[in-house]
Amino acid sequence: MPNVSSLAASLNPATPTDMVARAELSEIDASAKWPVIVFLLSGLAWLLIGTGFALISSIKLHTPEFLGDYEWLTFGRARTAHLNSVVYGWSTNVAFAVAFWLMARLSRAKLRHGGLLIVAACFWNLGVTIGVIGILAGDSTSIEWLEIPPYATPLLFVAYALVGVWAVITFRFRKSEHIYVSQWYLLAALFWFPWLYSVAQIMLIFEPARGTVQALVNWWFAHNVLGLWFTPIGLAAAYYFIPKVLGKPIHSYYLSVLGFWSLAIFYNWAGVHHLIGGPVPAWVLSAGIAASLMMVIPVVVTAINHHFTMVGSFSALRYSPTLRFVVFGAVNYTLVSLTGSAMAIRGFNEVTHFTHFTVAHAHQGMYAFFTMVMFGSVYYILPRLLLKEWPSATLIRTHFWATAIGITFYWLELSIGGWIQGTEMNNANIAFIDVVQHTIPWLFLRSVAGIVITVGHVAFAVNVGWMLLMRRPAGVTAPTLFHSPTPLPTPSVR
Amino acid sequence: MEWVFYTLAFLIAATLTGTAVYALYWSSRHGQLRDFERGASSIFDQEEPVGQMTDHFPVKRQKPQTGVPEAESGKRSAKTK
Repeated sequence: MPNVSSLAASLNPATPTDMVARAELSEIDASAKWPVIVFLLSGLAWLLIGTGFALISSIKLHTPEFLGDYEWLTFGRARTAHLNSVVYGWSTNVAFAVAFWLMARLSRAKLRHGGLLIVAACFWNLGVTIGVIGILAGDSTSIEWLEIPPYATPLLFVAYALVGVWAVITFRFRKSEHIYVSQWYLLAALFWFPWLYSVAQIMLIFEPARGTVQALVNWWFAHNVLGLWFTPIGLAAAYYFIPKVLGKPIHSYYLSVLGFWSLAIFYNWAGVHHLIGGPVPAWVLSAGIAASLMMVIPVVVTAINHHFTMVGSFSALRYSPTLRFVVFGAVNYTLVSLTGSAMAIRGFNEVTHFTHFTVAHAHQGMYAFFTMVMFGSVYYILPRLLLKEWPSATLIRTHFWATAIGITFYWLELSIGGWIQGTEMNNANIAFIDVVQHTIPWLFLRSVAGIVITVGHVAFAVNVGWMLLMRRPAGVTAPTLFHSPTPLPTPSVR
Repeated sequence: MEWVFYTLAFLIAATLTGTAVYALYWSSRHGQLRDFERGASSIFDQEEPVGQMTDHFPVKRQKPQTGVPEAESGKRSAKTK
């Protein structure tokens, strides 16, 4: 039965026909080309769509009559469409792309069953498209981070099942003896996300839990999507790209392993801090607050590790686009996580809860940390897949400075505005309508920051499009095309 | 009916916790938590060794100079600096 045996051979790394040596990097990159490109381009399209919805909803907050005649673009729908486009469209697509490439490289094995992943990409993007159209049509489930209507979610499940099967196969076929810390993060994330998503769907959509349990499940899910799905993928990329670009091993591998396991233990508990002050048992909140503060351990460990890896090599930031984006993201990971732990403290939370401070915090996490690390990863991966260099250094610089300045300004001004809003809401002498009106200048500044960020996204999209269309120089077969214009400083290796 | 779903959710959670505990046990048994120096350098190899930066900004492509030995072209670019 040749079919059965070839199927078994394709799933079992121990079959004798597979006694091959570790694949060359160029072979690995070539095998990953199409699945990664399909996910990357879908992600890029969603990034642009999500940015459009972001601008519409941001402008509506200070100029409510803007596009006021379209019911499908009312704030409730445009803002929700923004969230789902950027979280399930852009972030998840690019996370998949980066995860596949990293997994193949770290396993030192060619990416197998790429067709499976392309089918998964079709299901995923069809699911998100139907979901976002459903949201605009008014079918949102109104559960935060799970707004995609129930008729679209089965498509997402199918896509994820295919990705999960693929990840397990790739891991089994690994040719590397050692499992690098990034692989731990990737594998864990690929297991954690379906768990979170399926349990949340069961307890909130299929058979909704009653009473405050609904809110608990909702925030357990919404916070863990950040901490147990996007954070591990972002950290996996940072742990790979910072040492890899510098050509210098990570400062302390021991600390990186400690960081992974402490994240795995503590993060899952932290989400309920969103319900501080709510009608849930006090011990549940206290457990959530304790776990949120314990998160300082993996965060500080990661910060120390990234910082000391960079020490002595900061000048490399001038030369490497990947390093710029990834280091910017890593610094913001530390800041956003420490702010998050502080926001779980009851006294701090009394001010920041229900204010724009939380919005600033969420954007710092999803954008300044995760998205910037993903941008950096794309700058490293795409030339190796297409065997072409990036066509324009100016567009890369425009992308970096527009997004870095835009998101930093966004986070700073909205945090200040949110804090003022929180202190005013706690002051019984200030009328609520006055508090709302006092936020308008900050919301206006947010739109300005959004426009600056959009410039960066357009520069990125133009560069990617240009790169895809331009002709590859004849005779290029190597995975690394970069030839240094000037001798680069040799990084100091301990 | 809801108990069916909740049993399912519980089983998924229990399986996942079990997997995590097993992963820690497995990594300890298979030497993943020993010899951290080797672990840190496992992303480097002969093709991309330690000490070599692997990314920088693209440069404008120069026309290939046919017939000019490498050493000579190096001297010329040094002079133009």
